Amino acid sequence: MNGIGTNTALVKSQPLVRTHESKWAKWGLTLLAFGFLGLFLLLPLAAIFSEGLKKGWSAYWTALKEPEAISAIKLTLLVAAIAVPANLVFGIVASWAIAKFEFRGKQILITLIDLPFSVSPVISGLIFVLIFGLQGYLGPWLREHDIKIIFAVPGIVLATVFITFPFIARELIPLMESQGRDEEEAALSLGANGWQTFFLVTLPNIKWGLLYGVILCNARAMGEFGAVSVVSGHIRGMTNTLPLHVEILYNEYQFVAAFAVASLLALLALATLALKKILEWKVRSESEARP
Amino acid sequence: MSIAVNGIVKCFGAFTALDRIDLEVKTGELVALLGPSGSGKTTLLRIIAGLEFADAGRVLFDGVDTTSRPVRDRNIGFVFQHYALFKHMTVFENVAFGLRVRPRKTRPTKSEIRDRVERLLALVQLEALRNRYPSQLSGGQRQRIALARALAVEPKVLLLDEPFGALDAKVRAELRAWLRRLHDEIHVTSVFVTHDQEEALEVADRVVVMNQGKIEQVGSPEEVYHRPASPFVYDFLGHVNIFHGRIEDGKVQIDASTEGSPSDKTEANASPRRIYVRPHLLDIDHVPGGNGTFRAKVRDIRAAGPVVRVELVSDWNQVVTVEISHERHLALSLKEGADVFIRPREGKVFHEDYAI
Amino acid sequence: MAFLLKRRTVVPGFGLSLGLTVLYTCLVVLIPLAGLFVKSWALPWAEIGEILSAPRVVASFKLTFLTSLIAASLNLVFGLLVAWVLVRYRFPGKSLLDALVDLPFALPTAVAGITLTTLYARNGWIGQYLEPYGIKAAYSQLGIVIALTFIGLPFVVRTVQPVLEDLDPESEDAAYSLGAGRLQVFTKVVLPLLWPALLTGFALSFARALGEYGSVVFIAGNMPMKTEVVSLLIVTRLEEYDYAGATTIAAAMLLMSFVVLLIVNLLQWWSRRWQAA
Repeated sequence: MNGIGTNTALVKSQPLVRTHESKWAKWGLTLLAFGFLGLFLLLPLAAIFSEGLKKGWSAYWTALKEPEAISAIKLTLLVAAIAVPANLVFGIVASWAIAKFEFRGKQILITLIDLPFSVSPVISGLIFVLIFGLQGYLGPWLREHDIKIIFAVPGIVLATVFITFPFIARELIPLMESQGRDEEEAALSLGANGWQTFFLVTLPNIKWGLLYGVILCNARAMGEFGAVSVVSGHIRGMTNTLPLHVEILYNEYQFVAAFAVASLLALLALATLALKKILEWKVRSESEARP
Repeated sequence: MSIAVNGIVKCFGAFTALDRIDLEVKTGELVALLGPSGSGKTTLLRIIAGLEFADAGRVLFDGVDTTSRPVRDRNIGFVFQHYALFKHMTVFENVAFGLRVRPRKTRPTKSEIRDRVERLLALVQLEALRNRYPSQLSGGQRQRIALARALAVEPKVLLLDEPFGALDAKVRAELRAWLRRLHDEIHVTSVFVTHDQEEALEVADRVVVMNQGKIEQVGSPEEVYHRPASPFVYDFLGHVNIFHGRIEDGKVQIDASTEGSPSDKTEANASPRRIYVRPHLLDIDHVPGGNGTFRAKVRDIRAAGPVVRVELVSDWNQVVTVEISHERHLALSLKEGADVFIRPREGKVFHEDYAI
Repeated sequence: MAFLLKRRTVVPGFGLSLGLTVLYTCLVVLIPLAGLFVKSWALPWAEIGEILSAPRVVASFKLTFLTSLIAASLNLVFGLLVAWVLVRYRFPGKSLLDALVDLPFALPTAVAGITLTTLYARNGWIGQYLEPYGIKAAYSQLGIVIALTFIGLPFVVRTVQPVLEDLDPESEDAAYSLGAGRLQVFTKVVLPLLWPALLTGFALSFARALGEYGSVVFIAGNMPMKTEVVSLLIVTRLEEYDYAGATTIAAAMLLMSFVVLLIVNLLQWWSRRWQAA
């Protein structure tokens, strides 16, 4: 998932439909696009559920009710429950600083915030191994004090926070910039203090954009594989998130179970897409010209 | 509350937005800051409000230095150019906002808030719209809600930034008259910013004409219109024809020369002058007569409107605009292409140094 | 923090918000990434050169670049097609299709990986039709291209779509009124306006493909010298406790991604050049 790719879709309005092509060209192109998307998107989506249900519903449920699957679900929820709020607070704070003020070094800060988008997931995991791993900068000290970060839950959380770091800020910055400072100034001129201005005026104005960012951030937090895989150590029932659990099942040739668990993640993806579509519509109304 | 501005300076990078501004606004006055865009008028208003910070100088309310007092403690009402209504709140909630955010000690009770908001909605004649959202209102209605919201905190000073700028011509004219009446009713010290000279002349008690970060003139609408203190003011307040010439014994003498270059006819001891003449201070006749009369050819006649606007070309190829009454127009029965004479009725002289 | 402010405003909270932002950004992003470079810098140049010039490393860089390039090119063509159809035509199920374009963003890469592998395996839904022609999709370089095309698909669509929507239809009408044919209008009027967005989408898709791991690792087969991509090689080195190797390869990889990112920014700047005029 990449913010540069997604947030441009936010501030768009209904396109103009006007064509000069012949009917044949039109249908031909449409069919070609359908064919491509069908082959690359619909077919894989169908395959996930079909493979998961290959041996019927009971096998599907069994795979999901396994203790290891349950603990993977729990860990995934836990990781998202830490990473998303952390980046939520950061996203709001960062976009407040960037959108409401003109300051030196702003462009550098924006570039830094975008950075995790362009870092390979594997490298995102590696950098934390280099700091907290046994061979890492803090490794010896951590071992002395018996603190485990790599191959443990804290490492997974850290890698996830890194990977999902830009999501919410990236959605909020353009939205807040489009809204300007007028309403905040109006609130202040009417005697509101800073916190009142933020909670009563700014926050209600960005709530849909914020939710949009949270949805995308959450989807990535729950679905991240590469970075988490590097730091997790794959300890069953302990440091396995859902995507890692899928990998283990698949590598053990438990295909039905792998796809059953995968289908959970696919459902999460579909829910994300549906919510995203609804929120895009809401955000559009937020960023439209002020009354 | 009276406002005094002393030596205010404000720069944006290399651009000087305000250059040592001094201004006094008396209690209960309605003052217009008039000027073209970039003249610094909005910046000055925002500095008075405390929304912008001056690089130097002081702002005094009732003689008390408020330069460093934050906006929320200044007890001002500010109406924003684009209204800045809270779009997620109803009209009622918008107006009530300033009362509801007060600390508990000074916050009015719920019923007091309701009463006051209702009174204000009645004042701006929008009681029926109390549950609407700003997006459901017309521009003029939004403007009045913005005003009611600013008045709700019982400000000692009301500041309005281009209050009618975003409205169409008809609503503009209506609201202008309404604001004048409203001010007569509540009498709060008010300052508004505008780039529309008609608006300033029609509504304000006093007009402050600004240009390039400086005040050009302060005076009543009559003063600034009829006795402009600088070429800029003359030019900015309505259309003006510029001639070279002199005024001798109160009589205008126009040089038949190309505008912009002093003619050789100018006497050696008399410095070259520019004469500014408003179109309605010129007259047209078929025969020459009187001082300063010169010949011109009628190029265009616009008879739609309260006066007839005639565009003529002088012998030295200067375009001259003249406004005459419909009666005069009928009497003259002017035709395009006709040769006529233009006679100045009155002029005003400025030194070339003041050149615009 | 106030000294950084270019212009003082009444909106409060600058020091607090910028302070927290910088602190958090340093802790989460800057320091960890800097650690990577410091670690690989600590190695002597000769050793860095040795690590990066090993045949297996060179092969995996070549493979990663080549497959990423092919996938990004495929996405360039099909992304434009999909964007065009979504913007210009009206048909039933359009908004559903539009929403679905983001599936590769939303679907965890591991899920995409095992699904594509299953589809393109010899006995898979698609693989079984390729088998008779001797085409081996899964566990081959073709499989890598398929996975990279899947994950890069939304980039071109989502960068081209808004530009296409904003395109003034009057300039096309003008071209037609001047006697241009359909193909001429497309190549001479529409395409030049879309190029910046297309290139940006291409670069983003390419950058994403370079670092991709989850969707590739299942379908690639992971044969050293043949189907081993760089990110997998890093993981392999890490699992062998070869930290120097993993770090050096990762740093090289990261530098390349930054170069691509820089190009993206330059392209975006370039694409805005006529908007300013």
